[in-house]
Amino acid sequence: MGSTWLISGSPGCGKTTWILNTIKNHQGACGYLRLAEQAESDHEQLAVSQIDYTFLKDQIPHLEDFSDCRETSISQHKDFLTLIELSQSQSPESLGTIGIDSYAKNRLESLKLQPDRHLHFGRDSELPNNDTLVFNKLESWRLNLASSVWDPQSLNTFWFELVNGAYGDVYRAKALMNLPDGQSIFFNWIVSQKGSQFLPLKTVSPPNGRPERPSGIVIQGKGLDCITIQSTINLCLLNDALLEMHQMPLRDRQPEVLHAS
Amino acid sequence: MKHAVISCLHANLAALKAVLNDIDQNGISDITCLGDLVGYGPQPNEVVDLVRERAITSCQGCWDEDIIEGLNACECSYPSQLAEKRGHLAHEWTAEQLTDINKDFLASLPTSIRRDRILFVHGSPNSQHEYLLPDMNAFAALERVEKAGADTLFCGHTHQPYVRELKNGSIRVRLQNTSNHNAEDKEINLPMRKIVNAGSVGEPRHGSTNATYVIHDDVTGEVEIKEVAYDIGLTCQAIIDAGLPRIFAWRLSHGFEFAEQAEDASHVCER
Repeated sequence: MGSTWLISGSPGCGKTTWILNTIKNHQGACGYLRLAEQAESDHEQLAVSQIDYTFLKDQIPHLEDFSDCRETSISQHKDFLTLIELSQSQSPESLGTIGIDSYAKNRLESLKLQPDRHLHFGRDSELPNNDTLVFNKLESWRLNLASSVWDPQSLNTFWFELVNGAYGDVYRAKALMNLPDGQSIFFNWIVSQKGSQFLPLKTVSPPNGRPERPSGIVIQGKGLDCITIQSTINLCLLNDALLEMHQMPLRDRQPEVLHAS
Repeated sequence: MKHAVISCLHANLAALKAVLNDIDQNGISDITCLGDLVGYGPQPNEVVDLVRERAITSCQGCWDEDIIEGLNACECSYPSQLAEKRGHLAHEWTAEQLTDINKDFLASLPTSIRRDRILFVHGSPNSQHEYLLPDMNAFAALERVEKAGADTLFCGHTHQPYVRELKNGSIRVRLQNTSNHNAEDKEINLPMRKIVNAGSVGEPRHGSTNATYVIHDDVTGEVEIKEVAYDIGLTCQAIIDAGLPRIFAWRLSHGFEFAEQAEDASHVCER
């Protein structure tokens, strides 16, 4: 029988990074599931889960996805570690004896997952004591960017404007963005931390048209100008002709070193 | 005698008024403008009207040229697809707003103005679109000034004010005569040349939101870079009222240029 740990904390406290490091240091196989408190809509939860899972899966290719309720026999192995990430703004103590939001509790029950450890950022000393914000009643906006490819320089400008408040008070932004050279970049930003995190995924698609992998953006904040965010993103995405213009010289140059996603 | 040089007004009336007021307070009546009267900003007619009213001697900038001749700069002028699309939008809006009289005025502007050994241009003597950046290769910079037959070259376009003195310039040439197999060495020593960039009145890019211009004393050669604060809120509100993208107001109010500089800013568009 493996172990199941529940890792909870406010958005941006470093749950995904801690989970990534834990999985990297774990000897056996691992499974991952992301849950959210009720405040996040199902669509939003799905978008964030997809970004986080794609990033973790890229870093740890053998990672098992538990989001689709699969009952895998592998999780019964002694060394198997299931890590459940729970985005939870409230402290466990304020949520009664179970320590988690009832929505998340029901999800765990429906998935037949019973955590044998619950670690919460800001409470448990095993976790880093990162400076986080209390996210209450924030607006949230998301966009599925599957098969979209960005003009790299435009992406730089858009992200700079986004996190510097050009489209409202952004508290948190997370994204996976495709570039024409086949790279996918994981973007992570929170207002309380200095600078953005930009991590290229290890998996690079061949520069041959539009990549088939998850891509999207989730933004949380106040007074978000969602219409302008959307229209600016539209101005940054490459059409087929421009994408081909970017990719053609790459195909001619290094076709053998690129790995299929 | 002291004279003032202004550049890159970019249809920013509040900034232009503040700069002209500062020039007046310095008791200077001789003003030269290095172009880009319009583009991105919300008051193209008001700015051109004021330049005409004050009879400010001007040369034509890249935006002035494009408004008259149609958008014909190649895409390399823009650093990104986003900047290009925003630039096109600003271009179409400006072209639609400008009166025929003001378009004729912009069309009548020369690409350079010469006063003895002083040359005034928008970008470089080669092109309104070429950037003479402060860290440009010294030989190339010297070549631009020397070829133009100038001791002092005034330019704008980069939106970053600077004074660059090119001293101890020398060119050594070895000429090989194939008929008699003799080699002849020649050394040309150049006197000091100066490049003065006036920065920008309407769209600063020097780390502050203040407008910049320069005062030059043509007797002593002394150059003073001036910074002038102005009511940015007025221009930002005018941008929004005009229906231009709000992002222009945001960028202006934070001291970010409307479009970033191209990666290879020294690139010359060969249209």
